[in-house]
Amino acid sequence: MSIAGFIISFLAIVSGIGVVAFRNPLFSAFSLVVNLLAVAALYAVLGAHFLAASQVMVYAGAIMVLVLFVLMLLNLKTESGREFSIFKVALLGLAGAVCFIGVVPILFSSFAAVPQHQLAQNAAANEGTVKAIGLELYQRYVVHFELASLVILVGVVGAVMLANRRRGEVAMPNTAGVTAAAERSPTEPSPWEQRQARGGKI
Amino acid sequence: MIEFFVLLIKVGFVLNLALVLASTCTWIERKASALIQDRVGANRAGTFVTSDKWFLKPFLPIVRLLGFLGVINTLVCDPLKGISKEDFVPEGSSKFLHAAAPVIAVLPILLAFGVLPLAPDFDLFGFHVRAQVASINAGVLFVLAMGSVAVYGVAIAGWTGNNKFSLLGSLRAAAQMISYELPMGIAVVALVVIFGSLDVYEIVEKQGKLLWGVIPQWGVVLQPVGFVVFLLAGMAETKRGPFDLPEAESELSAGYFTEYSGMKFLMFWLGEFAEIGLFAVLLALLFFGGWHVPWVTLPEGAWWAALIGHMVLMTKVFMLCTLQITIRWTLPRFRYDQLMNLGWKMLLPISLVNLIVTAMVKVLV
Repeated sequence: MSIAGFIISFLAIVSGIGVVAFRNPLFSAFSLVVNLLAVAALYAVLGAHFLAASQVMVYAGAIMVLVLFVLMLLNLKTESGREFSIFKVALLGLAGAVCFIGVVPILFSSFAAVPQHQLAQNAAANEGTVKAIGLELYQRYVVHFELASLVILVGVVGAVMLANRRRGEVAMPNTAGVTAAAERSPTEPSPWEQRQARGGKI
Repeated sequence: MIEFFVLLIKVGFVLNLALVLASTCTWIERKASALIQDRVGANRAGTFVTSDKWFLKPFLPIVRLLGFLGVINTLVCDPLKGISKEDFVPEGSSKFLHAAAPVIAVLPILLAFGVLPLAPDFDLFGFHVRAQVASINAGVLFVLAMGSVAVYGVAIAGWTGNNKFSLLGSLRAAAQMISYELPMGIAVVALVVIFGSLDVYEIVEKQGKLLWGVIPQWGVVLQPVGFVVFLLAGMAETKRGPFDLPEAESELSAGYFTEYSGMKFLMFWLGEFAEIGLFAVLLALLFFGGWHVPWVTLPEGAWWAALIGHMVLMTKVFMLCTLQITIRWTLPRFRYDQLMNLGWKMLLPISLVNLIVTAMVKVLV
């Protein structure tokens, strides 16, 4: 990895800290964007151009824009100082440390398994090209790939269900009032109109 | 070390090209809109310049002609006005983000120029030069990715405006750009299926061949449906033409850049016009054969052939820029639901069917 790689990694770590440290949720979202872009740049430095481009397109370009969308619409205020007890902080710190310790051996073993000159060779032979990724995805990992698309399909259907619930087309639990409004005949006055007819009194 | 300097020259060249394209588009916009609306257009600034100095006299007719054509207006008056205006920052918004938004809107567009090849390869002083800053494997994808990053500039601009019009404009822009990215990407995928590469240079080289020995194998010939989808989606991406809902002045005063003034305001316009130029270059490279002239083969590797190729490409780019600007000044603005219906119910299914048909034809033939 070159000097550029180290600078980008540093940027990724700093922006990652920014995500949790900023009090304003919008600034957190922006640092997450910077983090995603830095990781994409890291992929590009390592020779995986396709992965970098798709990371920017999917995560930074589409998903984070939607997150920003929601944050802007909600117009959240800066979070006022919330105090955590020492016990909670210690517990969370411990959990983080356990996760980190769990990840480190995997990292080192994967680095050890692939010798340094091999990494350079892979980058030179364009291991990360579209063709290589496509062959791997559609031959060795085809079942995983199809399963992932199934999960996405379930998500899409779920989103449509949630969006349609309001029209009363899909009967869902806990929507008694909404379905009642949908089933009411158009000529029947609404509860609000009935109340107006009674002179505003219930 | 020498490679570094070659790279530096390339970067300077591409940056210059992007800015020249942007200013040319501004000029075309001025004069073309005037022609379309039966006006005269900018023709005053510089027209009445006089001087008694003998060494300035020979240049006066040229300056007057440029002034009459409206070039002085675009090149001198616009920047001067932008620089001398008050730089206004709305109260209660982040000053940093307010200044960063125009930069974020422009930077990805300029970066995207870096992966586009602008001439065939040539040999000069013993070097084999490729007229492209970064020759990356997934060139087309990079351009599309940069287009989607440019949304942030608009979104941040609308948010820092700290008023409802700005916010509405930026939300519209973000929704529009995300919606039209999909058909645009899928149209490119169909093209990639045909040419079998994501590298723009290879795609252009394959368009130099002839189909059945007669018809030039251009993208627009092989993918007419894909071309229409790509053109419409691309025009929506540039937020111009009939798709300029984010800055609809009759509803939102000026949309996401309502609170911008001076040079920051001009930066948005620079980004927008550079995007028109970028999109025209992309169209010319992907669908109109890049630097190839039909039925003409230029010798490979000669510097003069590369120069001619570059000029051919730029001719196509200027024609496509003019096409976009003409569409913008001819058609009325969409309503927002029409815009969304066009994107999701028309372009997306059409591009998907086009992709499936293309893939089937590719497998069968």
